[in-house]
Amino acid sequence: MTREKKLKVTIDSRELEVRPNTTILQAARESDVYIPSLCTLEHLPSYGACRLCIVEVDGLRGYPTSCTTPIEEGMVIRTDTTELRSLRQEILKLLLSEHPASCLFCEEHDECKEFQGTIRKVGVTTGCRYCPNDARCELQEITEKVGLTETSYPVYYRGFSVEKYDPFYDRDYNLCILCGRCVRVCNSVRLNGTLSFKQRGKLTTIGPAFDRTHLEAGCEFCGACVSVCPTGALSAKVSKWYGKPDTQVTTTCVYCPVGCRLELQVKNNEVIDVLPNYDSPIDRGLICVKGRFAIPEYVLSPERLGTPSRLTPVGYEVISWDQAIDEAAKRLRGTKPEDKLVMVSPQLSNEDLFVAQQFTREVLGSDAVISSMMIDLGDDLVPFLELVTSSSTFDTIEDARGVLAVGFDSTYGYSPVGIRIKKAGREGALLVTLGACDSNLDMLSETAFQMEPPQWAEFLGSLVDYLARGGKGKVKIRKEWTSDIERISRIFSDSSTNILVIGQEAIFSSGRREIFEKARTLRDKLGWKIIVAHPYTNLLGMLAMGAFPGAKPGEFLKNGDAVTVDLPVIDLAKRKKVVYLIGEGRFDTIPDCDYLIYQNGLPPVASRQPDLILPASLFTESSGTTTNGEGRVLKIEKATEPFMDAKPDWWIFNRIAEKLNKGKLKYKDVAAVQAAIKKQVKGFYGGRKPVEFARINAERATKWLRGAPKQEGQSSGAGNNPSYRGIPLARVVAGMKAIDEWVNTSLLSDKEAQ
Amino acid sequence: MKTIKVGLGTCGVSAGAQKTYEAIKNEIELQNIQAVLKETGCNGMCYREPLVEVIDEQKNSFVYGEVTPEKAKTIMNSHVLADEPVAEWLVQSTRPSEDDTFFKKQNRIVLRNCGIIDPSSITEYVATGGYEAIQRVLKEYTPERVIDVITRSGLRGRGGGGFLSGVKWKFCRDAAGDKKYIICNADEGDPGAFMDRSTLESDPHSVLEGMMICAYAIGAEEGYIYARAEYPKAVARLKHSIREALAKGFLGKNIFGSPVNFSVKIKEGAGAFVCGEETALIASIEGKRGMPRFRPPFPANKGLWGKPTNINNVETYANVPWIIMNGPEAFAAFGTDNSKGTKVFALAGKIQRGGLAEVPMGITINEIVFDIGGGIKEGKKFKAVQMGGPSGGCIPASMGDLQIDYQQINRTGAIMGSGGLVVMDESTCMVDMAKFFLRFTQDESCGKCTFCRIGTKRMLEVLERITDGNGKEGDIELLRHLAYEIRNNTICGLGQTAPNPVLTTLKYFPEEYEAHIREKRCPAHSCSALLTYSIKADACKGCMACAKACPAEAITGEKKKAHEINTAVCIKCGKCLETCKFNAVIKN
Repeated sequence: MTREKKLKVTIDSRELEVRPNTTILQAARESDVYIPSLCTLEHLPSYGACRLCIVEVDGLRGYPTSCTTPIEEGMVIRTDTTELRSLRQEILKLLLSEHPASCLFCEEHDECKEFQGTIRKVGVTTGCRYCPNDARCELQEITEKVGLTETSYPVYYRGFSVEKYDPFYDRDYNLCILCGRCVRVCNSVRLNGTLSFKQRGKLTTIGPAFDRTHLEAGCEFCGACVSVCPTGALSAKVSKWYGKPDTQVTTTCVYCPVGCRLELQVKNNEVIDVLPNYDSPIDRGLICVKGRFAIPEYVLSPERLGTPSRLTPVGYEVISWDQAIDEAAKRLRGTKPEDKLVMVSPQLSNEDLFVAQQFTREVLGSDAVISSMMIDLGDDLVPFLELVTSSSTFDTIEDARGVLAVGFDSTYGYSPVGIRIKKAGREGALLVTLGACDSNLDMLSETAFQMEPPQWAEFLGSLVDYLARGGKGKVKIRKEWTSDIERISRIFSDSSTNILVIGQEAIFSSGRREIFEKARTLRDKLGWKIIVAHPYTNLLGMLAMGAFPGAKPGEFLKNGDAVTVDLPVIDLAKRKKVVYLIGEGRFDTIPDCDYLIYQNGLPPVASRQPDLILPASLFTESSGTTTNGEGRVLKIEKATEPFMDAKPDWWIFNRIAEKLNKGKLKYKDVAAVQAAIKKQVKGFYGGRKPVEFARINAERATKWLRGAPKQEGQSSGAGNNPSYRGIPLARVVAGMKAIDEWVNTSLLSDKEAQ
Repeated sequence: MKTIKVGLGTCGVSAGAQKTYEAIKNEIELQNIQAVLKETGCNGMCYREPLVEVIDEQKNSFVYGEVTPEKAKTIMNSHVLADEPVAEWLVQSTRPSEDDTFFKKQNRIVLRNCGIIDPSSITEYVATGGYEAIQRVLKEYTPERVIDVITRSGLRGRGGGGFLSGVKWKFCRDAAGDKKYIICNADEGDPGAFMDRSTLESDPHSVLEGMMICAYAIGAEEGYIYARAEYPKAVARLKHSIREALAKGFLGKNIFGSPVNFSVKIKEGAGAFVCGEETALIASIEGKRGMPRFRPPFPANKGLWGKPTNINNVETYANVPWIIMNGPEAFAAFGTDNSKGTKVFALAGKIQRGGLAEVPMGITINEIVFDIGGGIKEGKKFKAVQMGGPSGGCIPASMGDLQIDYQQINRTGAIMGSGGLVVMDESTCMVDMAKFFLRFTQDESCGKCTFCRIGTKRMLEVLERITDGNGKEGDIELLRHLAYEIRNNTICGLGQTAPNPVLTTLKYFPEEYEAHIREKRCPAHSCSALLTYSIKADACKGCMACAKACPAEAITGEKKKAHEINTAVCIKCGKCLETCKFNAVIKN
């Protein structure tokens, strides 16, 4: 690697060495020289609209904007002259002549700042809260830095009505200064294109074209626009009035297996907002609506379970943890292993899963630690796991010259993967989608094939056969597909790297077994990469930790041989004495039982009332790690204390084990659990490289599931209904519900149109 | 056999030429006249439209002006059938006429075929020597030689920027890139400008040929014409011409049998003034919102779809074939030291002869206004010209002897622009005029730069209050201050030049601003808020005509006695002034 030669420049009479290929603004900021700017933002293309970052450069005419002028050797730059200062003040005066500015120029301004904002109706100076962005506003900050203390123009109120009809965020374009950050982040970072400038001249505003709502315009509600807005024009409904957060905690999202880094905004021991982290190598800050907006409302839900309680004939009785542990131990003691069933959610942390399997095996003496994920997949489980454990990293998409996405849509989830695909498509890769209805990738695809899910397997089969024979020999292909398959096959065979992305719709389609098999052929025979975009967050952690019947911790990890999964037969039709649910909220997949222990954060969805409720803390309230779909082990950080009396899952197992007198589980904290994992699962916390899994013998797939409940309409399985710990997000998060309803009605109208 | 040509440019059609054409066609059919009827474009005499030209068997040309269908019948009967030209309607012929001065000082390069050939016929263009330049270039010239010829001719971009075209082409030729584009900017948006429209309607092939030569010189195989959708006729003509050229093998693969490929696409703009700015124009072709971006990189390096792109306007391209055929020296023989060749001006406003005139650079404003344009309408006094549309500025009549070239015009604070020349007489209020152009740019701002979006709005508010009689001390300083900042702190030409009309009127007519602000008086008697009408008692005969005409019933008075205007009720419509036969009504 050759080192970039530094450039010598002079900024404000200081001689500096700066990186080449940057703008004057970047160079100045890297050298700690302050130049104000409202429209520039890291990660966004330069725009040059607000003009605040103007500088003087010897030899250049006028006042070039530093955000758009490339730095050159020997440049002599002045960033703070009387002339520049007065121009900047004038710019702000003009901006503030169309932006309510009482927060800056109110007569009571100085007194007001001394008091904390409050809504109490008491006789004290309270400080107005007229703008959601007060005290977090970049316009305020810059006005103060530039030293503007009054404005000479009368304030012109543009009188736009505030737009509140879309989920998750409100828009008050009276506060907008048209810096264009939202438009640029939507178009060039998210590659979505919902937002654009509308009208021209003094009527210029921002929004989706043709006055559609954001829902109609294909908005992903990723909130990127809200995060970059320097004013209060865009604000999150839930968190807008909280003001400045106390702290920020970096953690990993557990809503899906992508493993996005999240910056939890914490105030008064509550998670009030969540922001993306643009430096995260996995997601690059491209988080989806779930991570961005669906966390505070979930973890602060008024329905949260806060105390242990027991079902009595007259309803639930609140009991102490000691009583609850006694009760659980009493029920679990003495029952035969085959009469007990432990079901864990794949959305638990690695540590909780490890303790869960240890508890089941060593304390209960049973191997039956299963999850509803296994029941979703049924007898197709082993081929599915075989693909999941050999899934490629997300970055491979970037080098791909061909991408085939089956049943995949990244509008409301998996956006770091979806955006990488879009980017590849935009940069010239062949992108082909196969789906039942429009997907958000279609716009950039070479061809978007639409057909009912049962036909996907056949289509894929024809394509794979055609590719495998290299166009030679006869392949049976439906007439209407022949020319298309021939055409795309030619491009795929010329491409060096191809990727198959299997989306959730495909995983829950009736032909999934064949899709999995064809994917294997593509991978093994034709060198394709496979990415399985499934909804089971810590599935790989579940396998690595051995929270899986017939596989002890570490057995799934790579150490030479292929693994044959020998699943014990599980009969869901057979009544159990005790069922212990940890983070499972759907009851349609559990067998009948005499006694039901429910350990979770929110009440279950079903009508069957649990006999014992153990309130568990959620991922914002306890530490640990999770394994993402690429096999990376990522940290979950505790951001707040658990809700009321809720406890971490591992702690609850520990206490019950203590009571059962087995003396096996004696973990003091999460670190102790991690130490135990390190001993049993070699190299699990090995660093940045993904954990490697052994090849699973997919041919030896047995029929292991009996008495499974009939799932209505296979294609609308759990995956389409994003949930956390078994509770659909749409149940507790208002915006997710609105999206859900909109998706359903638009699907319906699509069907009617057909 | 005689040939009859009817000018069917947009100017002609709006004056009723289509009906005239139909009438002649009818007459030919009814009387079975042996004559060829053709359509042609505009010869520049828009003020005389509809124009009909009769060419007799001896190839003598007789041009009739203001030909209504009735007049057409007479001309058919008397001239075409009976060989007796109708002398009183002739505007240009073998005999001298008062209109001859319109052409006297013109040199037609760009307009060489306008109003002469049938623009819908490629064969007519070829018959005038069309498409010879490109064939010569393809056979004899290297691309470098083409660039050299254009550079030596001194041709400067006619769209307003005035950059040397040869140099621009060279930048694009030298830019690294596998694919290059050329664009013809036909998004003529200045109010009062119609040079490009007329050229495209009257001689589309000359533009296409110019584009071909440019494409060959810079190594582009694809060209775009970005035309306004408000120019339906020009767009239709262009489409037709492209089809003709394709059919002849002049466009497409291996043009004129050479190894060179060139194709042209038309992109219709949706009527945004800012899309005349090259980076906004490129964005618009790419399907994006037409918004300028900062330069560098210049389009010559990174233009359409990120590839090196050359952009010139219609007039620039139309000059190119002529320069190739006649040599750069012949072109450079016209004009001044820094501005070579000719320039087409669209004469509009209070001028006698509104139309198109192509004059050599270096001609004076007075020559254009008086010798070509025939002076001011209704014998009023010449006050100023607005050059360069909303981006330009006004030049007062006192500077009428100014030679028109890039340097001289820039020195006045106006710009050459694309060639719009709006003439103003003593009844034009200069503050109002500045307000008109500023309102235009403020409406057409893309909304990107703070100064352009909000600054022009604040300026407009000041101008509005001045013309409403609410101006206050300090307003002139505020206008100057804002103008200076807008000019220096915007990305594109639209913003940078937006204050020009205000700055030039402030420079040449400060007393008008002062009269509005201090005396609440509009010296041109044009700003209605500042006008009062009154009746001179000694001149009033008490005829009551004004009182009857007044829509607001503001005039009172008895028969044969002096009337009075109640200024509180008066709505300042001016009806009384028009009605009074005794000049008793006066405007203050």
